[in-house]
Amino acid sequence: MQLSGAELAGLAALGVFAGWLGALIGIGGGIIVVPALVLAFGYDIHLAVAVSLVCVVATSTAAGSAYVGEGLAHMRLGMALEVATTVGGIAGGLIAVAISPRTLSAVFAGVVLATAVLAWRGREADAPEVVADGGEPGPGPGAAGSPPPSGGWETPGTLAGAYVDPRSGVLVEYRAERLGLGAGVSALAGMLSGMLGVGGGFLKVPAMTVGMKVPIKVAAATSNFMIGVTAIASLLVYFARGYLRPLVAAPIALGVVAGALLGSRLAARTSPALLRRVLVAVLVFVALQMALKAFGVDIGR
Amino acid sequence: MIVAEEAVDRRVVAMVLRTGLAVACALMAAGLTVTLARGDRHAHVVRLFEIGGDQSAGDLLLAAGVVVLALTPTVRVLALVVLWAREGDRRFVAVALVVVAVLVAAAAIGHG
Repeated sequence: MQLSGAELAGLAALGVFAGWLGALIGIGGGIIVVPALVLAFGYDIHLAVAVSLVCVVATSTAAGSAYVGEGLAHMRLGMALEVATTVGGIAGGLIAVAISPRTLSAVFAGVVLATAVLAWRGREADAPEVVADGGEPGPGPGAAGSPPPSGGWETPGTLAGAYVDPRSGVLVEYRAERLGLGAGVSALAGMLSGMLGVGGGFLKVPAMTVGMKVPIKVAAATSNFMIGVTAIASLLVYFARGYLRPLVAAPIALGVVAGALLGSRLAARTSPALLRRVLVAVLVFVALQMALKAFGVDIGR
Repeated sequence: MIVAEEAVDRRVVAMVLRTGLAVACALMAAGLTVTLARGDRHAHVVRLFEIGGDQSAGDLLLAAGVVVLALTPTVRVLALVVLWAREGDRRFVAVALVVVAVLVAAAAIGHG
């Protein structure tokens, strides 16, 4: 597979765009990278998914380090759910390499359409938050009488934690419930991640907020923290079975990291609502194109 | 102090992730540079368990970058095993070890 200079530049530009958009509106790059590689570059969907998983690991690693530093990601909750997502990721990787590209394209079209609907409806899936008495910042676990640290913390040995809301300064305490439900949905998210090269946050975040009563900020940060480990479970399957071409993956992965840095710096100056509308339009277009490809309609390049 | 211990955990995990990402990006950038400098634009398939075979220097660097990137979240899990073990949180040490076992199984299953 010979790459032209323009193709390499295009791959890097695709990575920058996916990383930039992902940082601005909180989506993983996979939902952009996979259809772009299949539809615009004409690559096999298995290669596209393998390359996308490399980008997903890069994005999650960059974002995860920031969220962990801020104390928003609940590392123990993430680790507990990672057991399910990694098993799902292996299953997804094995299913993907066993089914035809057309079937995989059809599944991808469905998931992209569902993501478009969720993006259109916005992020209203918040969970009730338990605020400390009086709404005042209170002491953290084990720190009686001392002022709370900024960010958040978790209670060792449990799925409980708390964080100080940066806008209001209010202490928000929570305890994750129904781990079995969260694990079940996480396994499904891991399977879709492994099959399609996406992060799967669109399933995990609602499961944590609605199902497990975890605040949205903690759920989003924890989901991002988990995605890298989930993605490598299936990436290892693709990498070991010879679906990865590092010369294709490297420019996109480097572009994604650069784009994410750029996006995080521009976030304050960009309208998320406008970007969300653009994203929905792009996703609907992509879903239709992938569906046509799945049904054998040649749409050309 | 639980909060102080957790601050250490978070600093270590963040450092592992940032360092791993930086090394992986440096390796991939070096691999791209070497590959393009040689005028070789052939995107070869590289298999995880065949790295170090007959690949060019560029492909080796590119593949090493992907491997380091894949290892970074795994090292993060191992770091938490050590940190939580020091804090006596045996329940979550066990959970983290299960995650490590699943990742090892993923590589083995992919190889098989």
